[in-house]
Amino acid sequence: MRPLTEEETRVMFEKIAKYIGENLQLLVDRPDGTYCFRLHNDRVYYVSEKILKLAANISGDKLVSLGTCFGKFTKTHKFRLHITALDYLAPYAKYKVWIKPGAEQSFLYGNHVLKSGLGRITENTSQYQGVVVYSMADIPLHPKGGKVSLNTH
Amino acid sequence: MKANKEIKRLFVGGLGQSISEADLQNQFSRFGEVSDVEIITRKDDKGNPQKVFAYINIKVAEADLKKCMSVLNKTKWKGGTLQIQLAKESFLHRLAQEREEAKAKKEKSTTGSTSLLEKMGVVDFHVKAVPGTEVPGHKNWVVSKFGRVLPVLHLKNQQKRKIIKYDPSKYCHNLKKVGEDFTNAIPISNLTWELEGGNDPMSKKRRGEFSDFHSPPKKTAKVQKNEGPTAPLATRPKPSGVTESPHLPKQRAAQKTPRDPIALKLPRVPDSRSPKLKNVFFQTSSLETAKNRNSMSDDDIDSEDELRLMIAREENLEKTAWSSVNESENDPFEVVRDDFKSDFHRFHTARGVGIKNKVSCLDSEDNVGNDCDSDSGDTDEIIAMKKNANEVRNSIDLSQMEKSVHKETSLKNRKICDLSENCVKVQKGKNEVEIAVSHRVKSPSCKSLADSRSSGDADSVSESIQSEGDTEYNTMMKNCLRVNLTLADLEQLAGSNQEAPKEDTESSGQEAPAKCDKASNSHRTPGGHRKGRQCIHPEEIVASLLEGKEDTHGKQKPKENNLKPKFQAFKGVGCLYGKESVKQSSKEDVAYNNVNNDHNSLKLEDPRSMSMEKCSPFANGSSSELTHFQHGKKANNSKQIQPRKRQSTFESQGHRVVSPSSSEEGSRNSSLLLQKGKKSLSLAAKTPRRSSDEGCCHRTGKSGEDSEKRPDLSIPKAPEKSAGVSSRRDTRGSKTDFPLSVTSSSDVSAKDKHAEDNQKRLAALEARQKAKEVQKKLVHNALANLDGHPEDKPTHIIFGSNSESEAEETSTQEHSHAGEEAVKESMGRASGKLFDSSDDEESVSEDDSNRFRIKPQFEGKAGQKLMDLQSHFGTDDRFRMDSRFLESDSEEEQEEINEKKTAEEEELAAEKQKALNVVQSVLHDNLISSTSKGSVAAKKFKDIIRYDPTRHDHASYERKGDDKSKESKAKRKKKREEAEKLPEVSKEMYYNIATDLKQIFQTTKDASEKKDNRPWNEDSDGEKAEEFQDPAAPMTGDEQPSGFTFSFFDSDAKDVKEETYRVETVKPGKIAWQGDPRFQDSSSEEEDDTEETDDKKPSPEEVSSPEKQTTRFFFFSKNDERLHGSDLFWRGVGSNVSRSSWEARTNNLRMDCRKKHKDAKRRVKPK
Repeated sequence: MRPLTEEETRVMFEKIAKYIGENLQLLVDRPDGTYCFRLHNDRVYYVSEKILKLAANISGDKLVSLGTCFGKFTKTHKFRLHITALDYLAPYAKYKVWIKPGAEQSFLYGNHVLKSGLGRITENTSQYQGVVVYSMADIPLHPKGGKVSLNTH
Repeated sequence: MKANKEIKRLFVGGLGQSISEADLQNQFSRFGEVSDVEIITRKDDKGNPQKVFAYINIKVAEADLKKCMSVLNKTKWKGGTLQIQLAKESFLHRLAQEREEAKAKKEKSTTGSTSLLEKMGVVDFHVKAVPGTEVPGHKNWVVSKFGRVLPVLHLKNQQKRKIIKYDPSKYCHNLKKVGEDFTNAIPISNLTWELEGGNDPMSKKRRGEFSDFHSPPKKTAKVQKNEGPTAPLATRPKPSGVTESPHLPKQRAAQKTPRDPIALKLPRVPDSRSPKLKNVFFQTSSLETAKNRNSMSDDDIDSEDELRLMIAREENLEKTAWSSVNESENDPFEVVRDDFKSDFHRFHTARGVGIKNKVSCLDSEDNVGNDCDSDSGDTDEIIAMKKNANEVRNSIDLSQMEKSVHKETSLKNRKICDLSENCVKVQKGKNEVEIAVSHRVKSPSCKSLADSRSSGDADSVSESIQSEGDTEYNTMMKNCLRVNLTLADLEQLAGSNQEAPKEDTESSGQEAPAKCDKASNSHRTPGGHRKGRQCIHPEEIVASLLEGKEDTHGKQKPKENNLKPKFQAFKGVGCLYGKESVKQSSKEDVAYNNVNNDHNSLKLEDPRSMSMEKCSPFANGSSSELTHFQHGKKANNSKQIQPRKRQSTFESQGHRVVSPSSSEEGSRNSSLLLQKGKKSLSLAAKTPRRSSDEGCCHRTGKSGEDSEKRPDLSIPKAPEKSAGVSSRRDTRGSKTDFPLSVTSSSDVSAKDKHAEDNQKRLAALEARQKAKEVQKKLVHNALANLDGHPEDKPTHIIFGSNSESEAEETSTQEHSHAGEEAVKESMGRASGKLFDSSDDEESVSEDDSNRFRIKPQFEGKAGQKLMDLQSHFGTDDRFRMDSRFLESDSEEEQEEINEKKTAEEEELAAEKQKALNVVQSVLHDNLISSTSKGSVAAKKFKDIIRYDPTRHDHASYERKGDDKSKESKAKRKKKREEAEKLPEVSKEMYYNIATDLKQIFQTTKDASEKKDNRPWNEDSDGEKAEEFQDPAAPMTGDEQPSGFTFSFFDSDAKDVKEETYRVETVKPGKIAWQGDPRFQDSSSEEEDDTEETDDKKPSPEEVSSPEKQTTRFFFFSKNDERLHGSDLFWRGVGSNVSRSSWEARTNNLRMDCRKKHKDAKRRVKPK
């Protein structure tokens, strides 16, 4: 367990910023306490100070996880978000996509969302914009970025 | 033989010079046919033939050829030794042959299959051959990477003497096959630069045209879809109602209706309150609007589907907030604002409401009678009347009118009821009308509420504060909530109306069963239960309507108005929940309505006189309330009729039924009754209590829990705590109050109606006086009931409702002192009272609190340690640890710990800072590093110094602004002046041009003339300048600083006019070229020189040699005075010297230039 290096931080923040933009600042600088990112087993954890202190008592090889896993660094030092980060991304998400109930299941099984499955979308959502996918019941399903493109055909 | 003959080409060398073609032909014709002879002679440069040889085309057989070769080769013939060899075919011949072959091939390839196969084979070779395979028959030709056959190259490196083998099979080549259509390429100008637009949306979008969203028809279709599932529910039960097939279908409907709301409403529970309210508002508004429409169009709209459609449409129309959403809804998917909150629940709620309506409709359907036609007319009238009422509603003066109208409507309703129950349509229409009216009325009423409160009622201070604070939003909420209420109330109203007439007209015998049924809402008797429900709902509706109207009339019932918004909110919530089951709904309605009852209950429990007075204001209550009384009477009657057993159930249900509607009215009734006679009241009070007890028992079992739990749920969401409190209070109060209301209702008679109006006015005055007290009590009640357990209440009531009420009173008194601010405290107390609110307990609690209070010796860190020590050594006195045992270094340790902590914190802070920096870099934003230490400190309020004016050392923080302000005034003035002056500059620039031109043309005259003219010039210019400066000049005044006009003139002593003139003239000097005359005109020449240096340099030739050149310039005359300045400039060098040197230099320069030019040309040419 160690704090992220500058480069790692940058890579991770760039990724997260795709979804929440400047709200990223709110994650780093929280009024309700000190929170920080920790790297453990190539995974990035978002940990409160308290838990961080508690976790300091556990040896690194025995420690499985702490706080909330945001994602992991690949061997090529790219950052991949994990679904566990959704709880933190969803409330700050700048662009959202709502998916109709019919397409929800399909999406959760990993398929693409067709235009017909798109219930609603934040206006001015650009192509390749990182979005958080919601069900029509406003339940965040998944952060989706990079490849998401609104193919209108 | 012949067949073997081939055309061969022979080389015959070593011929003599004199040989001719004919000789050769003769010579060779022995062996074969000679077709062509070609003699070639090689000559040296002087024309002497050196070599002669010939090519002969001969058709010869193989044998003959050999023979020929052997015979003629190396034989001497005509002065030379023949040398015969086979030669290659002549190229012409070959070419012809090749062409022929190609032709033949082509023909074959098009026709013959064999050639095709061959070709295929070739192609196959290209395609299939693995790169690197050698082409058979060709050395060093290899199949390269992409299937082409390319030669292996041996490249010799120039420098390294190394031969590189370039194997195309091992490298990619960048050769490209050019398409055959290459020549057909379209010229660029003919290329398509614009896509021809189709009308399909995609192409339009590609072109950047985006059509507006508008396709309401789609939406409607969608709505239909949405409403589809619910529609069948509505439609199904109807036929049953019409056919009056008694129980089964109805039950089904009843079951269904409750079920749906559950399913639909469940998701809403977790939501925060505000969105819900919003949703509610939207629903309600839409509903009402839809209903308004319906009412306008009379009773035509029967089916729920249509209703829903209307609702949906209205939603679309009404919701400005959702406009974008709606727009996008038309499309398959919608686009949403950033601040979007899902309106997902809206649909559910809307459905829920619809279902509610349905329920009410169903109820009404149960009552369906025969006289649809006659009633419809009445309803129309009602509608018309209500319209009028709506129009008039705002004016207080017309309030009475409205009352009358409203009475009429009620009367009509009664009539309708008398005839029989209305047909479904009629009732629906009525409901709709009522709803619409109520809505209209209420929207103003809310406003009027605020007005009335602020103006008239000192009583409603607390609530008014709340409501006013909330402002529009609250009013909106109230509106919507109210509307919800009205839905429920409408039903009640209708029911009451129906019942009232029934009582009057119908025989007692009929009444008894009907009432019994109504009273016993129990599910056992489905029909009766339904009717009972009916009664409830319509009554409520009427009541709400009336209340709303009264509100608009205003001031008569300020209290109620104030209270209602809050309570109604809960009612609305309750209604939403309420339809989960018919029973529950009724109960909940009761519970929520109890809120209203609370006033009454409080009043009743108060000294009777008080209650009388209080009730009197309520007595203002409309005829509907009276009808409620009647309804209550019915309940009572039913009790009497029915065996005692049932009575309890009746009563309990009677509570439920009556209480919602009649609680307030009951109290009012009681007040009315009081005016009539106090006997009735007392009686009522006694009898009801019993009934209430029983009812409470029932309820506690069934509804009490539900109703109470729900309010609990709703409370946390409720924006206003007090409201939540009130809701709870309601539950309790309702139990206690119901009996009263019931009893009171029993006593009520029809006469009250007449006395009503008068009493209303009187009551209004009284009401204002009492309102405050009542409110306080309400608050108290609410607090007392805050944590009230459902189980507790029945017991309380059973064992001594009096005592409880007294306790409540006392508490209210206590709270009255504290006012509303004591809400929290009271809550705490209420929780304390959970167990028992007796004095003993209070003392006990005090003891407890003392016990748990931290003892002074254990305070602080040291104290903690001491306590630890003590705890370690138990309670043995011998080992008791005193403060003596405390280590003195504890503080140091603490400090160390703190230091550690701070170190950690600093680390974290540093990390955070880093992270923030990265964030900034990532976001490319100037994010304010709010986590910087300062800000953190600010958050913790650590380093903020609070300014204390009384402290002397804080004087340093004071700012002395007076001196500065004085200084700044002057400065400001200056600045302002400067700012004002600035525009002048531009102005000068502005008309310089014109003057310049003018003067330039004038300068062509002689200097003397100019001098003569000058004054005129000056004048004109000066005037002009003044004219132009007029706007600015007055502002700047005469004190125009000299610094501004500085320029080249030293003399500031001139008058303003001249100054302006100068300002004029100076500028053109800069802009204009050297010929400007004014330099000479104005003061000193030296200045001019400096000025002209800039201008003269570029054209020294002209200036320096004016004498030499006799040409006359356009602007200058020969030896023009103006040009003397340049002499001054050159004077330093010495004019003669300078000229010669200059000439020499220019010559040199010219030569150089030419040379360079030549060189450059030469260089360019060879290339």
